[in-house]
Amino acid sequence: MKNLKFLLLILPFFFASCEKEKIEGPSLNDLYGELNILESLSIVGDSADFSIGESIYFTASFSKQVDWTIRIKGINSGSVKIISGKSNEINQSNSTWNGSSTLLPFFIAEDCDLELTFEMHDDTIYNQVNVQSAKIYNNENTVLITDFENGFNPNFTGFFQAGCTKSLVTNGAGEGNKYLAQYGTCDWDWLIGYVDYFSDYWYDQEDLVNDPTKLYFNIMINGASTISDVSDLPNSLFKLEFYEDENGDDYHDASSEDRYDYEFDVDWTGWRMVSICYNDLIPPSSNAGDGIKHPDKIFKVRTLLLANPESGFAKADVDFLIWSFNAPILD
Amino acid sequence: MKKKYLYYLLLFVLFPILAQSQVKSKLWYDGNARVMYNRDALEGTLKETDTVSTRSNGGGSTMLDLGFHFTPIDDIEIFSEIRLKNDFGGMWGNKNFVELRRLSAKGVVNNKIAFSVGDIYLKQTKFTLYNYDQELSKYEPSVFKFYRDFVNYENYYQSNYWRLQGLQTNFSYNMYNLIEQLDFDGFATRVRGQEWLGKPELLMLGGSAVVSLSNKVNLGSHYINAFEVLSSSNGTVAYYNPVLNTQLSYSGSLKDVPYKVLLEGGFSKRGWTGDSLAPQIKGNFMEASIHSKGKKGEINLGFRYVDTDFRSIGSQTRRINYNNTTTTYPYYSNDYTQRKVSLIDIMSDPNIYNQNLSTSLMNYNPMYSSVSPYGNATPNRIGLTAEIDNLDLTDFLSAKVQTQYFSEIIGQGTTHKRSFNRYALHSSLSLDKLLSLNKSLALEGSINLETVTRGGEDFEKIDFNSILYSGSISYELIKNFKIIAGAKVFYAEGNEFIAERDKYDQINDYSNNIYDSKETILIAGLQHHFTDDIYFTMQYNQFNVLDKTNTYDEFSLGRLIFMFNMNL
Repeated sequence: MKNLKFLLLILPFFFASCEKEKIEGPSLNDLYGELNILESLSIVGDSADFSIGESIYFTASFSKQVDWTIRIKGINSGSVKIISGKSNEINQSNSTWNGSSTLLPFFIAEDCDLELTFEMHDDTIYNQVNVQSAKIYNNENTVLITDFENGFNPNFTGFFQAGCTKSLVTNGAGEGNKYLAQYGTCDWDWLIGYVDYFSDYWYDQEDLVNDPTKLYFNIMINGASTISDVSDLPNSLFKLEFYEDENGDDYHDASSEDRYDYEFDVDWTGWRMVSICYNDLIPPSSNAGDGIKHPDKIFKVRTLLLANPESGFAKADVDFLIWSFNAPILD
Repeated sequence: MKKKYLYYLLLFVLFPILAQSQVKSKLWYDGNARVMYNRDALEGTLKETDTVSTRSNGGGSTMLDLGFHFTPIDDIEIFSEIRLKNDFGGMWGNKNFVELRRLSAKGVVNNKIAFSVGDIYLKQTKFTLYNYDQELSKYEPSVFKFYRDFVNYENYYQSNYWRLQGLQTNFSYNMYNLIEQLDFDGFATRVRGQEWLGKPELLMLGGSAVVSLSNKVNLGSHYINAFEVLSSSNGTVAYYNPVLNTQLSYSGSLKDVPYKVLLEGGFSKRGWTGDSLAPQIKGNFMEASIHSKGKKGEINLGFRYVDTDFRSIGSQTRRINYNNTTTTYPYYSNDYTQRKVSLIDIMSDPNIYNQNLSTSLMNYNPMYSSVSPYGNATPNRIGLTAEIDNLDLTDFLSAKVQTQYFSEIIGQGTTHKRSFNRYALHSSLSLDKLLSLNKSLALEGSINLETVTRGGEDFEKIDFNSILYSGSISYELIKNFKIIAGAKVFYAEGNEFIAERDKYDQINDYSNNIYDSKETILIAGLQHHFTDDIYFTMQYNQFNVLDKTNTYDEFSLGRLIFMFNMNL
């Protein structure tokens, strides 16, 4: 019985020693604590040559978990890359930059301004980073239709309404130097103009992968965010049409072969990359084909600029039409 | 034909009388009768500034809870309790209510195995199944007791039992060797019934086995398991929460002073099957206490450890549901502000109380209970307790003292841990004995103090304290007819973080609440006891709730209340 009493006496001290190190719930320091920069922002791999696959990453550490954002802006190109995360440390795993852009145009070989900002905190850290050579987007995983750098291929036919403009412009491109400007006012028809990009004349002549779930169409569009005075909606309407030649006769027969569409408002200003998975395209109600997507049998891609004839001016310049496999070009 | 119906009617009307006269010993009655009327009126500046609310409102009722105990055979008793209620202001059946309050049967099989079915009251240990008292009720002066009795009765709170529906059985074996006695108890209850397109049925099974090794040593094991029956719904997720509690007690005496040592421990598991996002958490607890009863009073010393992840549906369900709407002036002021549950509601409003077991930790208000909001089963606590009860200092002065010192086991959101202190003191002074008066004159006073502190950086510091002063006086004007008065003054000051939890009870945020409140309750009136169980009281109460942080307008209320209570 003495042993039992002894056991009763020592057990509380046993439990008292069972203290745990962790905390319960989210850290109060992370939620309400003051942000201190423990390790200032450093750039690892500055002056990277992105064209050969080099990359840059950043390091810093903070006194708490915080939502941070690194914004890199090309001084000459105006391109912007945004990297963000939530952590108390910035390192290679959460901040590696391979030269890609978040906001167009693409970076070029240039110096870039760099800002590190924090959500709910006013602190901002400034720095500069250099791009020795820009990232090359056209590679073995892509099929370039055109980037207009060699001019406008006259085999890409089309039609623009009288008084509306389709012209090749140098400087101010989304990629490279040249782009195709498209704009105008047409008060008698929805169509401003269209261009047919026949697959026989695409810049790259590699076959497209025949898996619509892994194939993405990418196009840079420069909008002017024109708003209709009548409907208070964006004026410029852009449409993509993909025509298949399923029987291989170098002709799209609308009575028996598939067409797939994608349509959207151009309600922004400046360049933006629009990417769409081929599998997400929708056939028109009049589609007479079998409805099975065969991207390897694409005959042509048609881009159409449309606008309500009552609404006035519309604009949507285009550049860098390119197919990418497995992911959009700006993943 | 008409005569035939008349005979049937007479037989129907007279049957209870005939039945009682012929099998008199097999039917007996008990219950409760109550007449209550109260009128509440706005007071203070609110009376002038609040042009939206009514100046006063009131209501009352006559109510009879009639319990029938019917014993068809010696070993079986059937019990039903019918409530007949007539709200004041209704006539000819309008606002009259008849409802079944309780229906159960109990019996004994072969004089060995007792059982109860229907509405049953269950209690196990303080960590498995226990209905803890509401906050700030400990050491409450006796003049406030009628309010608490009323609240507890309306919510089926009998001692610390939970009222559940199901089956319960118990039996025991007496032996004459090393093991003196074996006691077994088991139950199966349906905590929540089937819901149309809702949650599955929630059942709770439990059992106890207690072995008396000698008249000094007892070893007991108690188990409950609450779980949802997945097949009873269209869902794919089912909750479960088994809890095991083992107790070892030793009774002895030291220099002729008897004492009892109790050591208990156990663990719990809580999770949801079929939900990949739901964590399965396991927690344990341990409590050791020594209790001794001497000639001058009783002393109880204890140590308690309850893990952060300890979860027990039966012992962590709280009585007060702070999400409920108050009965008296649920909204007030011209902004139509919803009135928070405050001390006056805790004391007098049965509608803010909860009668169902909760599968997740219920909200609490640290103003009124911060040290042990879930009783002894409050998770994340380690500390010491000491209590002296019924301390008779002289023949006219007695006292009770309780003190508790706890710390968190794991800090909430920080490595700094909260420290909790609780002190409570109650004293009772019989002035009639002191002054040799013929008529009863009694004074009571109590203090309940709670403090919470936490160090660290400014953003995580906690410095909170609340204190409740209570006092009462009663003077016997004529035999059993007393004039009574009482007061409660409550202060809460400082800051305390309230953890916000998701549906799995995991903390996902905190709110740092600032308190600077004062609440006052004053009562004065007359009370007459015909017997201990039959009394009436007529009082004027004044309540005031002042939030000095100016988050809420000051609320002032006067109440005239009459209650006649009779336990049959």
